[in-house]
Amino acid sequence: MKKKWLLFFLVSCSLSLAAQQLDSLQKHRFVTSSLLFGVGLSNNYDTYISPLEYTGTEIRVMHERMRLTKWGHNRISLQSLVQVHLSYCSNPADNNHLLGGLLNWNYGLHYHLPLTASLKLLVGALADSNLGFSYNARNSNNPASLRAYLNLDLSTMAIYHFKLWNHPYVLRYQLNVPVAGLLFSPEYQESYYELFQLDSKGNNLRFTSLHNQPSLRQLLSLDIPIGLSQLRVAYVCDIQQSKVNNLRTHAYSHAFMIGFVRSIYRIKQRKPLAMPAY
Amino acid sequence: MKKNNLLYPYKNLLHLCCILLLVLPAFLFGSCVREESYEDNAMGNFEQLWTILDQQYCFFDLKRDEYGLDWEEVHSRYRNKIVEGMPESSLFDVLGEMLAELKDGHVNLINSGNVSHYWKWYEDYPDNFNEPIQRAYLGTDYRIAGGLKYKMFPDNIGYIYYGDFSSGIGASNIDDALQYLAVCDGLIFDVRNNGGGYVTNSSKLAARFTNERVLTGYIQHKTGTGHSDFSDFVPIYLDPSNRIRWQKKVVVLTNRRSFSATNDFVNSMRLLPLVTIMGDKTGGGSGMPFSSELLNGWSVRFSSSPMVGANKDALEFGIDPDVHVAMKNTDILRGIDTIIEEARLFLKNDEKK
Repeated sequence: MKKKWLLFFLVSCSLSLAAQQLDSLQKHRFVTSSLLFGVGLSNNYDTYISPLEYTGTEIRVMHERMRLTKWGHNRISLQSLVQVHLSYCSNPADNNHLLGGLLNWNYGLHYHLPLTASLKLLVGALADSNLGFSYNARNSNNPASLRAYLNLDLSTMAIYHFKLWNHPYVLRYQLNVPVAGLLFSPEYQESYYELFQLDSKGNNLRFTSLHNQPSLRQLLSLDIPIGLSQLRVAYVCDIQQSKVNNLRTHAYSHAFMIGFVRSIYRIKQRKPLAMPAY
Repeated sequence: MKKNNLLYPYKNLLHLCCILLLVLPAFLFGSCVREESYEDNAMGNFEQLWTILDQQYCFFDLKRDEYGLDWEEVHSRYRNKIVEGMPESSLFDVLGEMLAELKDGHVNLINSGNVSHYWKWYEDYPDNFNEPIQRAYLGTDYRIAGGLKYKMFPDNIGYIYYGDFSSGIGASNIDDALQYLAVCDGLIFDVRNNGGGYVTNSSKLAARFTNERVLTGYIQHKTGTGHSDFSDFVPIYLDPSNRIRWQKKVVVLTNRRSFSATNDFVNSMRLLPLVTIMGDKTGGGSGMPFSSELLNGWSVRFSSSPMVGANKDALEFGIDPDVHVAMKNTDILRGIDTIIEEARLFLKNDEKK
């Protein structure tokens, strides 16, 4: 009987110790990152280059890094989302092609609002910076168009944790909408020769908002546990539009992506740790 | 915990923000930026072509004043020639004829089998250039530096022929040519039958003939779809090259086929004190061309940014030479290039003075 009590005491102590160790872990040191690759459909339109919509395929890479901060009692998270995509599209007659590419970086904060134990809403703001191009080899002095714009996005996210066959899954939906920004654009028929070789003083930096840049980015993802890893499948709906300087553009993307999620715990260490010797 | 949280009192407001953001896409989808729709048939492609030119071509006002161009009248006249189901080749011919109303060498309709063109700016005039004769002047011992062909004539006059402003010329190419000809008493720079190319090559070459910054002209661009929607004039300066620069007399030879970037080169050169323009009037073509396309896949090129001279004078219809010289038939029969001979005489006489 004494042995049983002693065993119970030891188990209780070890569980208590484990709980203390978990408590001592700081939430803001957990970092979740993912790297996804995908392909999708692309529809590009830029009246500086052509009055026609070009359709085709795109490849896309997305890297996301997200962690809770100390602010707001661990209710504010920091997100860094980088996307690169390249598209190759054809005109309706399929006798000309448009090559497009964009590097997009979203960086900002979300405030967490738990609705239930398994569902929470996040709302926040992101800095949304973009740099890209469209290139049409057939055109004379308007073969390419530079895309450069910086936005302040409102962002919301819904995260739902659920279990299937005793395995944890995470379903997430994110929506980013640019509400104010600055966009570079040549004037209606301003050539890049005039822009970069001569001292042209056109209105090339324009303020944008919902009225002239009605755009959004949506991300729907599902995290699936596979052994010790998490597989992420995602659908990206990227709608970028602008109407400035009498030029109209859009870049619509629907991409399906797949990749892995990695969770790490950051250790603060002033002195570098030596690798153990074997 | 909740009391300590600064944002907790505003949780209802934050929930509302989330919901508003989640339903926002429905509103944004209502403001799609899509292409203007045309039917992909004869009438649809005609209307699209007419509209592209109507909104983007830059010389409507100039050509209305010059020869009474009325683009609306052109629309009604050519609309009557469009018949549904007409063969593609017939449609191409009608649309090409419509574009020829603009009388602009920079306006073309292009499909896989044809390019519509307006070449009356030189077809209606004497050639003032005979290639076999000019080849005989170059002989077989001429030198080549990029797109430049050059040699020294026996009377110690240098001669450079540049036949295409699309031909690459590096700074070293120009250095080598000018250095080789440096001992000459004068230079003939022949740009006859040069139909243009890169305007950057024009300024790269002209920069070798000036020692100071010169205002050579202005450029504008369209800022909207109206015929008169233009930006302010943007000045174009010619800056002296920091490499080898020519310091003796130069005669630039021109004819009606000196067009586009060549017209721009002549415009810069005519302002320089040591330069004389000789031959025939240039062909013009001062609108920087843009491209567009139709639903059926045909491509269209048109003038979109007008360039004018230093006095804001129109260059679209060509530049008159300082010394007008025409090729004589009697000379042609004897294998003599009248314009080259006049230029040699001009430089020799100038040397004597």
